[in-house]
Amino acid sequence: MKTVLLLTGRNIRIYFKDKVTFFTSLITPVILLILYVTFLRSVYVDSLLAGMPEGIEIPEKLINGFTGGWLVSSILGVSAVTVAFSSNNIMAMDRVTKRINDFYVTPVKRGQMAVAYYFANFFTTLLVCLIALCVSLLFLGKTGWYLTFRDIPYILLDVLGCVFFGTSLAAFVEQFVSTQGGISAVSTAVSSMYGFVCGAYMPISQFAGGIQKFVSFVPGTYGTVLLRNHFMHGAIAELTKDLPAEMTEELRKAFDNTIFFFDNEVSVGAQYAVLFGSSAVILLLYVLTSNLRKKKG
Amino acid sequence: MHIIEVENLQKSFGQVRAVDGISFSVEKGSLFAFLGLNGAGKSTTISIMTSTLARDGGKVTIDGLDIDRDSAKIKSEIGIVFQDSVLDSVLSGRDNLKTRAGLYGIYGKDYDERIKSLSDLLDLHDFIKRPVGKLSGGQRRRLDVARALINDPKILILDEPTTGLDPRSRKTVWEVIDRYRREKGLTVFLTTHYMEEAAEADYVVILDSGKIAAEGTPNNLKNRYTGDFIRLYNGDKTALSKKGIAFSEENGYLQIEAENTSEAKKLILQNPELFDDFEIIKGKMDDVFLSATGKQLKGENE
Repeated sequence: MKTVLLLTGRNIRIYFKDKVTFFTSLITPVILLILYVTFLRSVYVDSLLAGMPEGIEIPEKLINGFTGGWLVSSILGVSAVTVAFSSNNIMAMDRVTKRINDFYVTPVKRGQMAVAYYFANFFTTLLVCLIALCVSLLFLGKTGWYLTFRDIPYILLDVLGCVFFGTSLAAFVEQFVSTQGGISAVSTAVSSMYGFVCGAYMPISQFAGGIQKFVSFVPGTYGTVLLRNHFMHGAIAELTKDLPAEMTEELRKAFDNTIFFFDNEVSVGAQYAVLFGSSAVILLLYVLTSNLRKKKG
Repeated sequence: MHIIEVENLQKSFGQVRAVDGISFSVEKGSLFAFLGLNGAGKSTTISIMTSTLARDGGKVTIDGLDIDRDSAKIKSEIGIVFQDSVLDSVLSGRDNLKTRAGLYGIYGKDYDERIKSLSDLLDLHDFIKRPVGKLSGGQRRRLDVARALINDPKILILDEPTTGLDPRSRKTVWEVIDRYRREKGLTVFLTTHYMEEAAEADYVVILDSGKIAAEGTPNNLKNRYTGDFIRLYNGDKTALSKKGIAFSEENGYLQIEAENTSEAKKLILQNPELFDDFEIIKGKMDDVFLSATGKQLKGENE
């Protein structure tokens, strides 16, 4: 265990000292923030107001709480995956630069190295996401706070689930990468696509039917939906307190506070099961495939 | 006593036979050199010896241990300086050495003592706290050597350790290794394509396309594969030609090739009037390499 912790520490230090890796992992959340400031916020405000009955005045603070909830849930949902892939690049770079041979010539077991890479990735991704969460909560506190104390542990659980998914997926995918070009390709693909796939850039409800079905197969999407639900339900409840219950449901559907799998609404419990269960399966697949690759030599 | 024994070692990559049934042994405490061009199979052999690459056939025993059964124990007895530095460039030298020491179970006080003795030996004090990426090539190489010696190994493997280094850094690296070798009785396994380095070895194996082309002590190899040379200073070219002695004009002297030392001696004794200022020198390792493989080896300036 001492060896695993030692290697984990080494991987964590490299992530935070390598400024390029660190800042690259924050590109997607920053893009999201810029999109939000420049036009996404106004788009969401317009669509929110368009769905409201005429003559209803919505206070600025409530609008901020609603759109802010959307923004921070998107940032956290995306960061959990993009940061995980960037942080996991340390494993891929060790292979590409043949630095890994310096560990192979020591008595350390390859399994210990794999565990250390995973631990380090989990720790760094979780740390970055928790810092982002703190900033998000401060932002909501300043602009429009509609969360309850009950929401906080759920949000923490959502972040944990998203990080579990991101780190498992990164470990599984990046074990096949052995060139510098491969690392760039994977990073670019993840940074540019994942925001769309998990519904961070625009609501899944606005996608075409086929694409909606496709994203319902992406476990990370369930993480984003859980975050949306816990960050936004307070604001939605406040918005619709004097309106019919259907109105609440319409808003929840329009802004991805819930998800459908082949027209069946997935319960919150089932969303957690999908998120954690699929992450565990991906991690297991990583362990199995990496052992198989090791045996093949 | 042999500390490394390799029998009929084989390794192919697709159709390419990187190591083609080689056998050799290394005497304990000696400086052993693997001489060969890039792609001769040197690094592949090292990778197999350190259990980082599976072999196709053959047997490798290190310090009496079998690499299949006792690879973890063997690894703790080996230190290796790779062709290219493998330390983490964003971390300091101290951080790097601490991580590597821990992988051999060296922590706390033991680590402090080890790092102090290596810093003294390799003169690391001035730069050990700086990020490796900001060090000069020579400083980085000294850290690489410190990393290879961190576990106090019985065998130090040097995989083209001085490639790309300036002559001064190369000299420093060799001085340290020689001193450590003398003090600790360390066995050094060197791969190189610098003949000057191979010429200093106790035993040389010349590899060519995965096979052993020649082996022996540098002196044996020179005797076997090259002749001797008489360097004649201020020589009389006309007189030499009249006597039918073939020579070549080199930079500042005339060179006469003899089959061996006794032939050279005979020639001088038979023609004392022609040889006032002269020296007899043996052929170089590059002549040996050329003769054994038919290929030109890189020299100091290449």
